[in-house]
Amino acid sequence: MTRVLVPVAVLEGESVSPGLISLLGTVDVTVLGYHVLPEQTPPDQARLQFEERATSALEDISQEFRAAGGATDHRLVFTRDREQTMQRVADEVAANAFAVSGTTGDVDRILVTLSGEVDVDRILSFVEELVGNRAIGVTLFLAAGETSLAGPGDDATTDADDADDAGAADPGDAGAARLAAAADRLRAAGIDADERLATAGSPFDALIDAVPGHDAVVMGERARSFRSFVFGDESDRVAAASVGPVLVVRARGDDADAASVADE
Amino acid sequence: MVDEPSGRNLDGDAPVAEDVVETEEATITDGAELERTIGLSGGLAIGIGTMIGAGIFVFPGLAGGEIGAAAAASFAVGGVIAILVALPTSELATAMPRSGGGYYFISRGLGTLAGTVIGLSLWLGLVFATAFYLVGLGFYALDALAQVGITVGAEPGAIVSAIAVAAGVAFTVLNVTGTENAAKLQNGIVALLLSMLVAFLGFGLLEAFGFIAVDTPPGEAVDVWEAVPILSVAALVFTSYLGFAQVATVAGEMKNPGRNLPLAMVGSVVIVTVLYVLTIVVATSVFTRDALLAAGETAMVEVGRALLGPAGALVIIAGGLLATMSSANASILSTSRAIYGVSKDALLPQRASRINLRYGTPHVALGMAGGPVIVLAATRQVQLLAEVASFLHLIMYGLMCVALVAIRRDRPEWYDPEFVVPGGPVVPVLGALASFGLIAFMNRLSIAVGVAVIAVTAGWYFYYARDVELKGAL
Repeated sequence: MTRVLVPVAVLEGESVSPGLISLLGTVDVTVLGYHVLPEQTPPDQARLQFEERATSALEDISQEFRAAGGATDHRLVFTRDREQTMQRVADEVAANAFAVSGTTGDVDRILVTLSGEVDVDRILSFVEELVGNRAIGVTLFLAAGETSLAGPGDDATTDADDADDAGAADPGDAGAARLAAAADRLRAAGIDADERLATAGSPFDALIDAVPGHDAVVMGERARSFRSFVFGDESDRVAAASVGPVLVVRARGDDADAASVADE
Repeated sequence: MVDEPSGRNLDGDAPVAEDVVETEEATITDGAELERTIGLSGGLAIGIGTMIGAGIFVFPGLAGGEIGAAAAASFAVGGVIAILVALPTSELATAMPRSGGGYYFISRGLGTLAGTVIGLSLWLGLVFATAFYLVGLGFYALDALAQVGITVGAEPGAIVSAIAVAAGVAFTVLNVTGTENAAKLQNGIVALLLSMLVAFLGFGLLEAFGFIAVDTPPGEAVDVWEAVPILSVAALVFTSYLGFAQVATVAGEMKNPGRNLPLAMVGSVVIVTVLYVLTIVVATSVFTRDALLAAGETAMVEVGRALLGPAGALVIIAGGLLATMSSANASILSTSRAIYGVSKDALLPQRASRINLRYGTPHVALGMAGGPVIVLAATRQVQLLAEVASFLHLIMYGLMCVALVAIRRDRPEWYDPEFVVPGGPVVPVLGALASFGLIAFMNRLSIAVGVAVIAVTAGWYFYYARDVELKGAL
């Protein structure tokens, strides 16, 4: 079963928007209540004082998720490093994606970006699972300026890979072919899928330009880079710029492990 | 032996106890998890950052002025004692990777009376140490002012007090209101300090062994290579080694504690011992005893000036300011951990460890650290502050070694350290003897103040927490 991790800064009064809760009704959810502590504060001390309050808030949120349909559990973590906690818990519960919460009402259409070095197969499987047989439309987005290097095991997009090889001189054509292949796959699963190709400008700006008309964004997890070090994680930037919730599909388990070892 | 802490204090509160599972990445309790976020480099930065502080920048003048080049031996003695204590502390910390450090080990190994005395004197010892760092900061700030051409009037002492008090207030307020994590900054400061010291010492050693010649001021006084003066100077400068056990106070927050705790503790002691000894070798090769004595608290600045000119003086002043600040800040942080550990076990009223939700900081504990620090810093008694801090810490170090022997003998079921000190009881017994022995070489007044503090904390136990039972309880 597909599982999504929903981190919530529970003691700062953060809540999950109703739109995100109903969007995640088709998948299992782990609500990760976290509280980031300043270094002056021993974590255990914060736990003694705040655990009860945090747990009752978490139970309320889990209840709402359950009412929307999916099996839901919750975890509570006191930490100094939100990123580290998210990665650890996501690994432990084998989450396929995590949510960066934002505000939205009912979700009618989601924007799925395939730009960059992301695992297209995993993203599409996740989207199929997420949409299920609901009437939620999908717009597939690709910024073609940035040619995608399909990850290993990316079987479902073989057609697109072929197109890549053939049209290497024109990234726009290769991108269009990749998008078409992905859209065909979603349509085969009974999902209303559109394509949107951006050929100029920065991929990030193009993605934000494409957001209006969509209620949530789905994107792939990328390796940490110098850019993410300077500007913050791309998912957080997308969430901030698009206001709505962002679902980040995690990279394959073993890749994530390798990345965290490299971090050490 | 009991398995759970029990009993109630005067307010009717019982110690907080619950089952927890420790993994390498987190501490898991019934309803929540505590992420372990400090790695090996973070642990080393806590140890080194606390130790390399006022000690190395203030003592070369005082110690070198006392016994000349033999002060290097005093620092080496201090380092050996620190290692003898760091090894048993590592074993205890890997068996009990909890916040609270030395207090926790002693209260579990030796019982509530020893625990209360140590818990409270760890708090007060850190208060004395912080005051000492702040006075050192004041002296360096005064020198920095002189360096940029601002001369102060007839009362330089009052200026030092004023700067020390202002810095104490600033650190306390920053710690209560600052929600930014300063840990990364602390790591950077320690890295910067280490590279400054290594560069400075590298150049100084070339000079000391005659590869480079600089003009050194003449002087006649000879070095004092005698055991008793060396040991009494060691007792004075031991303050420079307070800090490695602070790593144990964040044991609950360390990733992979079985490996990182011993490495961080022993590693930081080894690194600072080498740096201290080399610094004294350089300082005493540049200046003789009387010249160091005349230069006093900021003699290192003069050493820098003699070696590298005004640039050398600037490097030392900047280093001294950074080091004293990082030591003071790290000690204030440890103090709030120490107070938390004691109040969780109902040895202090529980409101001492309240956290405010606005900043998420333990404002009461930080106030209990900062308040007395400010008063003590105003006294400007470098030697007294340093020795009382050392006294209170040495009592704790000695008792930690005793606690290790006691716990190993009792072998409670939960005792399963990942790191075991080799050689049976030899290291902890030597560590205890050395720690208690060094106290004998201190100044009378310092011993008297230290004993008074211990007596007051013991009195507090009989008044407030006589019925609390902690021995053997995990």
